[in-house]
Amino acid sequence: MGESDTTRDGGGRRAAARASAFELKSRRFSLLGLVLHSADMAELAADWAQRAGAGGFEHEPVVIDLSLLTRAAAPAAGQAPLALDGPAPVDLKAIVALLRASQLQPVAVAGATADELAVAQALGLADAADEPAMERGTAAAPAAAVREVVREVVVEKLVERPAAPVPALIVDKPLRSGQQVYAKGGDLVVLAVVSHGAEVIADGSIHVYAPLRGKAIAGARGDTSARIYTQSLEAELLAVAGIYRTAENPLPADVAGKPAQVYLDGEKLLLQPLQS
Amino acid sequence: MTKIVVVTSGKGGVGKTTTSASFATGLAMRGLKTCVIDFDVGLRNLDLIMGVERRVVYDLINVVNEEIKLTQALIKDKQLDKLYILAASQTRDKDALKQEGVERVLEELKAMEFDYIICDSPAGIETGALMAMHYADEALVVTNPEVSSVRDSDRILGMLSSKTKRAIEGGEPVKEHLLITRYNPNRVEGGQMLSLDDIHEILRTPLIGVIPESESVLQASNQGTPAIHLADTDVAEAYKDVVARFLGEDKPMRFTEAVKPSWFKRVFGGK
Repeated sequence: MGESDTTRDGGGRRAAARASAFELKSRRFSLLGLVLHSADMAELAADWAQRAGAGGFEHEPVVIDLSLLTRAAAPAAGQAPLALDGPAPVDLKAIVALLRASQLQPVAVAGATADELAVAQALGLADAADEPAMERGTAAAPAAAVREVVREVVVEKLVERPAAPVPALIVDKPLRSGQQVYAKGGDLVVLAVVSHGAEVIADGSIHVYAPLRGKAIAGARGDTSARIYTQSLEAELLAVAGIYRTAENPLPADVAGKPAQVYLDGEKLLLQPLQS
Repeated sequence: MTKIVVVTSGKGGVGKTTTSASFATGLAMRGLKTCVIDFDVGLRNLDLIMGVERRVVYDLINVVNEEIKLTQALIKDKQLDKLYILAASQTRDKDALKQEGVERVLEELKAMEFDYIICDSPAGIETGALMAMHYADEALVVTNPEVSSVRDSDRILGMLSSKTKRAIEGGEPVKEHLLITRYNPNRVEGGQMLSLDDIHEILRTPLIGVIPESESVLQASNQGTPAIHLADTDVAEAYKDVVARFLGEDKPMRFTEAVKPSWFKRVFGGK
């Protein structure tokens, strides 16, 4: 519960940073991935023409995934690679041209060797280092067995998994000015005062059984059902899933300094007195 | 068992040094062997208020840097033989305070069987203030009855509960006492100052005393006398109460009610 050892998530930032011209954020996008099983350009081009040449793409971004490619073992010093029909080096330039011709927009390479990466970067492709096809469990595919191009459309879907409930983070000491607590993945329960200048953040709901005077950010990772409950609402800032309200706008008399809850109704932050 | 008490506030000019001087003096008046250390390296105030300015030869930094022995730097008070002062250096900055050095000094003082070590913290929340509070067992948090001072005290209370040795090692938390200085009940009634209740509502820290606003504090520092020595003043009485409460005695709060000028004064004016 130190001040620097807590992290904070998007919700708070989003609320705080609207006035600035831009934000730099980590984002995940679903992209097409072209997983190569062969480096033989002739074979590739033929297969591409047969199966994907018709196009129909709308300049979608695509990642060229080289992680499943069998490459020639690095030749020993001074020795040329012997295998005549062994795997040829990947001709990235040709592949990029092939994709562009089909109205695809190559943006990055994945699973590239250092040499390939240098070529890729010269072609303006980024290095998508994480999550190549290899790590996604396709390791079962025997490396040399299938020699064909597969246009693999990777659709990343959010799978609803009944996650194990994260126990609420319980804080029983006053949170003073400058202190910050973040309940990652769950609810935050504070049993003492949250002072002006303190911040309580939770991915779930926030419960403060004392005056809440600092900043409270519930649903920091976008949970719109998160709520804020307190015995005395005096907060400087209230935010649920990025929708926020500051103390610049005085709290209504029926909740100011009283037991209250804060929740989202669509895009609107509602402040409601708690009847007891 | 030596107890280390830090006198801190966050904000400057609220009366930390005045309090350190009077509190340490008050403990020594009770016959307790007390050392008061000035952590405000680079500024040096405590020795002035304690009236030992001209007797400072060596200071805390000399001891921390092992240039001299601790006993050479300790200045013995002229009135109280249980009271010692360790001055700050005016020629160094706070970076000269090394944690191991400070710890060694405190350990040596413990070995000398001091009952209390009072650490007079500099203002702010930087190295000097952190050093002063790091080894504390108890803390006197000095606050003036105004919003910015109370907010800064809140920040300091947070640091006491997270940045001190006790907090880091997960031991028993530093015992916090709130001391309100420069309290003027008449101005509280007039709404110009926060009341005791307001302050307590914000900080929720046990109150150890209220020192009334008084001219005599200024007079005392100019004379180089700890305010607690000024006979028959409210300030001295209030500090004596603080010491008594700190030692576990039950004393009702004084000097917290507004005093209306008497009929006589209202008619004839005067002081």
